[in-house]
Amino acid sequence: MTQDDQHSDAPAAEPRKPVFDGPPLSLEEELAAARAEPEAGPTIETINDSLADGVNRCPKCGSTDVQLRASTGMLVCLFCRHQWQEERVEEEFGLGVGIDELEGTVIASGAQEIAEGADDIVTLTCGGCGAEVVVDTAHAMNARCHWCRHTLNVNQRTPNGAVPDAVLPFKLTRDEAVEKIREFAGKRRLFAHPRFRKEFVPENVLGVYLPYLVVDARAEASYTGRGEVQTRRWTEKSGDNSVTYYAADVYQVDRSVSFTVDDLTMEGAADRAQFDSSTTNNIVNTILPFDTKNAVRWNSSYLVGFTSEKRDLDVADLSPKLEDQLLSIGRSQVHGSLDRFDRGVRWEGEKVDVGGSRWVSMYLPVWIYSYYQENTKMLHYIAVNARTGETMGSVPVSQWRLILAALTVGTFLEGIAGAILVGTA
Amino acid sequence: MSALVTVLASGDGAPLWILAAGPAGALGTYWAIYRYYRNTDKSHAFERDTLIEAQPVQGHEEKVDHISRTRDPDIDGDNSAKYRERVRRLR
Ligand SMILES: [Zn+2]
Ligand SMILES: [Zn+2]
Repeated sequence: MTQDDQHSDAPAAEPRKPVFDGPPLSLEEELAAARAEPEAGPTIETINDSLADGVNRCPKCGSTDVQLRASTGMLVCLFCRHQWQEERVEEEFGLGVGIDELEGTVIASGAQEIAEGADDIVTLTCGGCGAEVVVDTAHAMNARCHWCRHTLNVNQRTPNGAVPDAVLPFKLTRDEAVEKIREFAGKRRLFAHPRFRKEFVPENVLGVYLPYLVVDARAEASYTGRGEVQTRRWTEKSGDNSVTYYAADVYQVDRSVSFTVDDLTMEGAADRAQFDSSTTNNIVNTILPFDTKNAVRWNSSYLVGFTSEKRDLDVADLSPKLEDQLLSIGRSQVHGSLDRFDRGVRWEGEKVDVGGSRWVSMYLPVWIYSYYQENTKMLHYIAVNARTGETMGSVPVSQWRLILAALTVGTFLEGIAGAILVGTA
Repeated sequence: MSALVTVLASGDGAPLWILAAGPAGALGTYWAIYRYYRNTDKSHAFERDTLIEAQPVQGHEEKVDHISRTRDPDIDGDNSAKYRERVRRLR
């Protein structure tokens, strides 16, 4: 007789036994349970079945000669000129809806842990600068590094990163990007390093897809601190000077806010995720946001003519950063409720509960003009958001010109100050 | 810069500290140009440029103290607008 039979024979009045009251597990079973992988959360299946054989074919004539036409954002078959695009992931996978009901961590198939891929998309390590560049070898056996323009070759391949779920196609053409870069640098001529001015060739811009994780999340953030309200203000004479004094009430202040974020975009490459003023890592971050709602399902034909970079950060790596960003967003949300504290508020403690999050891995299009400054060993670049045209960059400065200008202004002001002193003495 | 000059010129019996205008102006010029070229201070304003839907803010406040006399015109360590400055994490 099995246990099930016994159970069904039991009188109906007997309450169902709680799970913990079952027969004790053996030590072996306990250990096996402890070692078992944690149960995986739900997954959004974003794998593109039509690419199952690894070949991207024109749906009309079956040709594999397919590439992106940036002016339309569509794929075009170079054989029969048929144009089409993959479905937008937003509708296809129901992203953007139900954020206020998200539970736990939902990870799209392409945002899962980075595994070795065995297809035509390979990652090459640049011999020039060490960057890891992803190349579609079905279409190009060599490519240039988008950071230093060094020519890459397949011998330097490393295990591949994950294939993304979605890609946002290039929209801005190369010529438009060149124009943006020329304009950006053109406004920064006077104090630019002479060598940069001589070697500046905006036509050397390269189109690159950079890896991001795009997150929808539901969270509640709470803050606690002190706020002060001025109750009185007066001045007292002490000798020749008058001094202003204040009186104030001190409050214990607590605030909390529940909110959802739609398409928070986070850097997926560790190289660029660390911002500090000794690098130029913040530049690409600054050209966010992208119109990620228009991203389409991943198809490597979108990559033809562009390079891309490997994602090397996982959901687990980025979760602490997500919490930080949610805390910042919450703080900006409660800011408007602090008006009565006219002497300011000092937050001393904060907390965030992430009710649920949904992660999609996405390639976003950027035009990059890069310049390696020899004397300071620093990589400068000008990046153009290939959807919105927003442009940001770092131009190497000529230190001595800058110091000279600063001294000139300083001397001028000092002259005026001196004249005033002499005149009023 | 012209604003600064106006301020400097408006004093009657100018104090000696205006001699700091030279060094301050030099330093200010250096940093302003440097920032314009290198943009080290820029970053994506995700607090503003992301689609956010928030419920009404909840909270309360309670008077805990009174400062009867101070020369300080505002609270120490006001970080209410410094959204990215993290403080102690509560559990
Ligand atoms: Zn075709
Ligand atoms: Zn390189």
